[in-house]
Amino acid sequence: MGLLTLLRKLKRTDQEARILVLGLDNAGKTTILKKLSEEDITSIMPTQGFNIKSLMHDEFKLNVWDIGGQKSIRPYWRNYFDQTDALIYVIDSADKRRMEETGEELGQLLEEDKLSEVPVLIYANKQDLMSAMAPDEITEGLNLHTIRDRPWHIQGCSAKTGDGLQDGMEWIVTKINDASRARGEEKA
Amino acid sequence: MDMRDAETGKLLWESGKWGQRMLREEMQARVPKEILECRAVSRELNFTSQEEIRQFRLEQRIFLRGACLEEWFFDFGFVIPGSTNSWQQTIEAAAPEDMRHPAELSGKVTIETSFYDGKTLIAKTLVRVFYV
Ligand SMILES: Nc1nc2c(ncn2[C@@H]2O[C@H](COP(=O)(O)OP(=O)(O)OP(=O)(O)O)[C@@H](O)[C@H]2O)c(=O)[nH]1
Ligand SMILES: [Mg+2]
Repeated sequence: MGLLTLLRKLKRTDQEARILVLGLDNAGKTTILKKLSEEDITSIMPTQGFNIKSLMHDEFKLNVWDIGGQKSIRPYWRNYFDQTDALIYVIDSADKRRMEETGEELGQLLEEDKLSEVPVLIYANKQDLMSAMAPDEITEGLNLHTIRDRPWHIQGCSAKTGDGLQDGMEWIVTKINDASRARGEEKA
Repeated sequence: MDMRDAETGKLLWESGKWGQRMLREEMQARVPKEILECRAVSRELNFTSQEEIRQFRLEQRIFLRGACLEEWFFDFGFVIPGSTNSWQQTIEAAAPEDMRHPAELSGKVTIETSFYDGKTLIAKTLVRVFYV
């Protein structure tokens, strides 16, 4: 399922939905988004700012924000938190050396007021690599079970083969739709 | 800037670097006419900024013979100093009948993009599209 299909599945109660994609440098954020748009993934450079994908379907807009994950760029992440409907956090499952670092960054994001209650999808990327840690191991290692203040889900995937990307996106659609339904009921 | 078939990801057109020239002159894009048959098209704009910008936004309008067909307002907000950024828009083409005749359209479609910091205009570009 590409991003266009995702957009077509979103309920049109709000005018726009915003998905923020974060994670350490080299995690595979840009590759995942390109793969979802069927674009060539062979010559992707590290992101030195943001890459935005805006899709429109019947007046309804989906904006996906992919921000660079290099250490020097991370302090700027907070400029992009406003009005986020869902967070996708990408982990390089084969980068055991930086597992603790990625856990700390995720932990900090989950404490941000502007991201409170925002559903988080964790992509355990690069599952095509032999050395990749399984999603279960990552859940254990990063104590993801302690996340209680929002819906969360970990999805093993490979941006290289495309495996798992669709399942993750299905989860996101469901959560965004749940949230907009809840808001509708509050108003009524 | 580039344009693709959004459903297959196929690159249909790419401008290379226009740089400063883009801000002074009307630019021309020679796009393969098959783009008019795509169910969805994506356009990507790449830009770099040395300076930090606080309230970066753009207004983009597509004109056909002077009439506005399509309008996009986009708020980027903060731009990181020394950054390279991209914005890709995907539009599902609900092309009216006359959009199907490349010869009639060629040279009559323009894409006007204005960049602002808050209310201050920073730059404006105009691209005229030819279907070849
Ligand atoms: N084997 C394998 N390699 C991957 C996968 N996903 C991404 N890569 C590679 O990992 C490298 C980094 O990918 P990017 O998409 O640039 O990572 P990023 O998270 O956007 O990095 P920054 O832009 O620096 O934050 C590239 O060389 C990709 O080809 C995957 O699923 N499997
Ligand atoms: Mg990137």
